[in-house]
Amino acid sequence: MVSPRANWKGFIKFGEVSCPVALYTAASSADRISFNVLNRKTGNRVRREFVDGETGDIVERDDQVKGYEIDDGRYVVLEPEEVAAAIPDSDKTLTIEAFIPCSQIDNVYFDKPYYLAPEKMGAEAFALLREGMEKENVAAIARTVLFRRLRTVLIRPHHDGLIASTLNFDYEVRSPEEAFEELPDLKIEGEMLELAEHIIGTKTGKFDVSKFDDRYEAAVTELVKAKIEGRSLPKRKAPVASKPGDLLKALRESAGMGEGKVTNKRSAANANRGKKADTGEKADKTASKPKRTASKTRRAS
Amino acid sequence: MAIRPYWKGYLKLSLVTCSVQMVPATSESDKVRFHTLNRPTGNRVVSHYVDSVTGKAVKEEDEVKGYPRGEDDYVMLEDDELENVALDSTRTIDVSMFTPRDSIDWIWLDTPYYLSPNEPVGQEAFSVIRDAMEARKMVGVSQLVISRRERAVMLEPRGKGIVLWTLRYGDEVRDEKSYFDGIDNEKPEPDTLSLVRKLIKKQTRDWDAKMVIDPVQDRLLDIIENRKKALKKPSKTKAKKPAVEPPDNVINIMDALRKSLAGEKRSRK
Repeated sequence: MVSPRANWKGFIKFGEVSCPVALYTAASSADRISFNVLNRKTGNRVRREFVDGETGDIVERDDQVKGYEIDDGRYVVLEPEEVAAAIPDSDKTLTIEAFIPCSQIDNVYFDKPYYLAPEKMGAEAFALLREGMEKENVAAIARTVLFRRLRTVLIRPHHDGLIASTLNFDYEVRSPEEAFEELPDLKIEGEMLELAEHIIGTKTGKFDVSKFDDRYEAAVTELVKAKIEGRSLPKRKAPVASKPGDLLKALRESAGMGEGKVTNKRSAANANRGKKADTGEKADKTASKPKRTASKTRRAS
Repeated sequence: MAIRPYWKGYLKLSLVTCSVQMVPATSESDKVRFHTLNRPTGNRVVSHYVDSVTGKAVKEEDEVKGYPRGEDDYVMLEDDELENVALDSTRTIDVSMFTPRDSIDWIWLDTPYYLSPNEPVGQEAFSVIRDAMEARKMVGVSQLVISRRERAVMLEPRGKGIVLWTLRYGDEVRDEKSYFDGIDNEKPEPDTLSLVRKLIKKQTRDWDAKMVIDPVQDRLLDIIENRKKALKKPSKTKAKKPAVEPPDNVINIMDALRKSLAGEKRSRK
């Protein structure tokens, strides 16, 4: 087996035990930009240029420097060395500062995942840490300099290895409590909840994320073709929101039951939930074949 | 806290539809923000587009998206034309499937957004979908066009709202086998394991947002503060580099664990 290249090599330290490890990028985000920016007047591609805001002269890379605005139009200039000096020197060690119960992990902080695996001579201590964390059902919080930035990392057992996720800093994450603060305290109960739960039951399945396909590019190609051929572009209908008074009716209809026979049918349908989809239309909508034809997707709500 | 919605559209479960809005869960606004300056003049550097052939500056209103048709041959597409792309997922999050919360591994989570009802009339429908997922301990799965790409998304109830995660594409997540297959999976000795579990227990804390503070940002702000003062009376100070602490070279894990536990006891007093 060709061993993949590590993105970072160092140690993981818990208590007085340190173990040589390596980090490997677990996920990359490949950007698929299918557009170029053009100059409408000439049809030519455009390119970016960096110029002085006052003089309009082109500014060479070496002359570009970081400035922090202290008040309108006045800046403190920070040279790259000064910024670098604010970052602690790397001791190449993921020092575990604490363990936290897995139930308390807030995934909203997650940034990028890395596979964490032992290096030579590290297998024993590594297996011990992983096993201990697994048994105690905890994740570890560690901090180190990664790629010239000081990062907090959350480490959790994953099969034979560990996964280290860099975490966003506190000031980079909006609190969900604040974001949802203004929503009313609506607790749904009774028939509405039962119907919605039933609908969820009929749509329960296994989702294979890896099989998902981006249909956007194909849709744009279709659009481009229409434009080239001079066909008119179809205007799409805006979806219509359910009216509050019709919610129960919409739920009953979604659950595949008309008014009146609700109680009997529900229990029967619950018995084989997860097997049957409520209507045939949804059954083939599993992720294994998400490429539906355009005409089918265009069905109005 | 009014944040401008990043996206507005509809959330749909079967025949139930409500209008919703979405904001990113992460924000750059509290980060120390630097501008690029031109060192010789001290002026701000701005970027603009120039025509790649004529070299002339291109006004913002003259910028248009081009879809490549051949070499140096593009079809221009206006934004309102793109709006008409024949995909429902540009406007509607149609939750077509539900799956147990832990069946989608965290490695697939890409970017989180907060989803909430857009109008008071939609609050009840939104709450129905949220509460039913919560009651069933399920997450919803759908697709949504964000930044001109169609993404698989996962909807997870959270308090009074819903967190919507974009999920990574299949070719973006690397196969763990290449990294984990070679790991020597020896079961640790029972006594060593019980020692390490003791150590873990002692060091287990409740989650606290203080675990994700950024001392570097604070240091940068200090430097800026000092420089602001220095603007009045110039003087030069060099930032001190912290001492490097090399990792201990521990050979015997048992001894090290005992030492760690002893250290824990001392520090607890």
